[in-house]
Amino acid sequence: MKERSIGRKVYVCVLAFAFVCSMAFLADRPALAQPKAVKVGNILPLSGPSASVGQQNRYAQDMAIEEINAAGGIKSLGGAKITMLYSDSESKPEKGVAEAERLINTEKVHVLTGCWNSAVTYPTTAVAERYGTPFIVPVSVADKITEQGFKTVFRIAAKDSWWTRDQFVFLSDLQKEFNAKVSTLAFVYENGDWGKGFAGGWKKLAEKGGYKVLLDEPYPSTATDMSPLVQKIKRANPDVLLLVSNAADAILLTNTMAEYKVKPKAIIASGGGHADPSFLKAVGKNGQYLFDIVEWETDVNKPGVKEINQKFKSKYDYNLAGESVDAYIAMYVMADALERAKSLDPKAIRDALAKTKLTKGPAMIASYDAIEFDETGQNKYAALVMVQINDIGKGMERISVWPKGARRAGYKPLFPVPVR
Amino acid sequence: MWFIAEDLINGILMGAIYGLTALGLTVIFGVLKVINFAHGSLLMVGMFVAYWAVTLSGLHPYLALILVIPIMFFFGYYLQDIVIKPIFKAEKDVREPITVIIVTTGLWYILDNLTLLIFGPQYRNIQDNPLRGKMLEIGGMFISVPKLWGFSAAILTALAIYWFLQRTRMGRAIRATSLDRDAASLMGIKQYKVYNIAFGIGTAAAGIAGVTLVPFYNVFPSVGVLFDIKGFIIVVLGGLGSISGAILGGMIIGVIESVGPQFMTATWTEGIVYALFLLVLFVKPSGLFGVRYDW
Repeated sequence: MKERSIGRKVYVCVLAFAFVCSMAFLADRPALAQPKAVKVGNILPLSGPSASVGQQNRYAQDMAIEEINAAGGIKSLGGAKITMLYSDSESKPEKGVAEAERLINTEKVHVLTGCWNSAVTYPTTAVAERYGTPFIVPVSVADKITEQGFKTVFRIAAKDSWWTRDQFVFLSDLQKEFNAKVSTLAFVYENGDWGKGFAGGWKKLAEKGGYKVLLDEPYPSTATDMSPLVQKIKRANPDVLLLVSNAADAILLTNTMAEYKVKPKAIIASGGGHADPSFLKAVGKNGQYLFDIVEWETDVNKPGVKEINQKFKSKYDYNLAGESVDAYIAMYVMADALERAKSLDPKAIRDALAKTKLTKGPAMIASYDAIEFDETGQNKYAALVMVQINDIGKGMERISVWPKGARRAGYKPLFPVPVR
Repeated sequence: MWFIAEDLINGILMGAIYGLTALGLTVIFGVLKVINFAHGSLLMVGMFVAYWAVTLSGLHPYLALILVIPIMFFFGYYLQDIVIKPIFKAEKDVREPITVIIVTTGLWYILDNLTLLIFGPQYRNIQDNPLRGKMLEIGGMFISVPKLWGFSAAILTALAIYWFLQRTRMGRAIRATSLDRDAASLMGIKQYKVYNIAFGIGTAAAGIAGVTLVPFYNVFPSVGVLFDIKGFIIVVLGGLGSISGAILGGMIIGVIESVGPQFMTATWTEGIVYALFLLVLFVKPSGLFGVRYDW
């Protein structure tokens, strides 16, 4: 009898504890208490080959949403908080499309964002367009995403034709500055929408610029051995090598090129894998002198950059990358539009997005001075920065070199790169 | 002509490593008659074990084998014993138990995502190790030293497994079970123990492959998938269950991948590999070096 009562006491204690826990859990979620919440569907590659960058996007957006909610949410909607619903695309277009359908129909999201991979974003925006759900694209750069005549798609990052254009402007500026001649090029790029889009642009620009193209080589991003490709580059012996790579292949390619002592006058990469924070760590000295074009760099001279980067770094242990910044900015663009829309009606949000004229706030850590969308939904002012990876006493880092106005004070880029 | 020789050597070295990644697959299939879809994940686990062993202890990557082989062997042994065996028992009347294949697929997802949760999606590689980036320069020819080590490891592992299966009592028991599991059981061979050991050997082989890859390849949670598909092609090409077939099949693929791109775009070589794969399936379904019957 006595034993039984002890058992009962324990039972009651456990129940009480569970009750308190569950109350604490409920109290911890203000979203439930709010009458209105803005639901944002975010499709990202959280597993699979692009998981590393997908995760960085997610961190940056989490941080932005946290800040926006902490500052009182969307005030014109009675302080509505933003809830982010993540779903994993695994970098697969069909998965992205299915997730968009689910987010719109089942979760009833008010805004969609994502999907990092251009190949996923492209078909997914069509789903959003069909339902009229506004879709904010932070980083997928394929031109065609904003050239479908869609009304609901808004892109923050510069499109890939601008990237290639700027790479060639940089190349000719470099030749002028150093009085060195570049006459032959090699193109090596991942065999996806993104890489092929870049290569198409390069071909036209090379013809216009009078360069001779020695090698035009797509490769599968899943390649497990880069030496055959590197041998091909070595035998072609170009003055300048242009690259588009995802992270794993960027690392492998850079290390393999160092092994085979492939040393063109310059290597110009296109962000993506080369801008991934794990790239610098994984290639070490092998990445020295590489040029890379990106949306943003930690040494951009804009107010707030240092503080926001510091906050991100202390949280996640690496610097913000250009893509993460676009993802971060996208959240502030969204919050600004919601504020002006004063409604959760998709049409009202879309119209507000179309009228975006953002010139202040945390979104202005961008390397340019305003965010406005043209009639296709492309951010008109998106600009790019060229960096060189070098060690100037503090380990390998990314140093802004172009446009000249953005060049880090006291740094002179090395071109043609010295042979070690 | 220099070029071809250089590419041929690289292809053979890399191919032997591919063969090594597929070796475990072929051993497990030969005995259990199960296609182990989790094999890539086992390779990934092996790479992580090797990565941490080398990074934390600062050992020469190949000294890490002392740790990796036993860890991976027991990992595989108990994986089979605890996770796969019960399903096997439920399906013991079937020659090729299909449910087990589904279980291994589940294992693949669980292992990959567990690593993703624990270690994050970053790409890691060992920065300071005596093999990293080392090249032999003979004339104008470059030969990668870590790949040379990998090649030797692959050949030695294949020989060791072959010797074990041919010459030891346990090896004979394994071969007997693979020929006819019921007859073997009747002769007093403990069928499930044999399965555990075969699975352990397969997993240890994946671990050795992990060690050979770590000095020049990135370690990340989905790395297994890249080698997995290749592994299946190699195993079918060489003959399911054949040990020499796995190594030779790997070399064929390595050579195509290495020499091919010098005459065409690199993406086309994948096409050639798959075309060869189909051709072998049509002409010689038991694989190039497979026997018509099991061991």
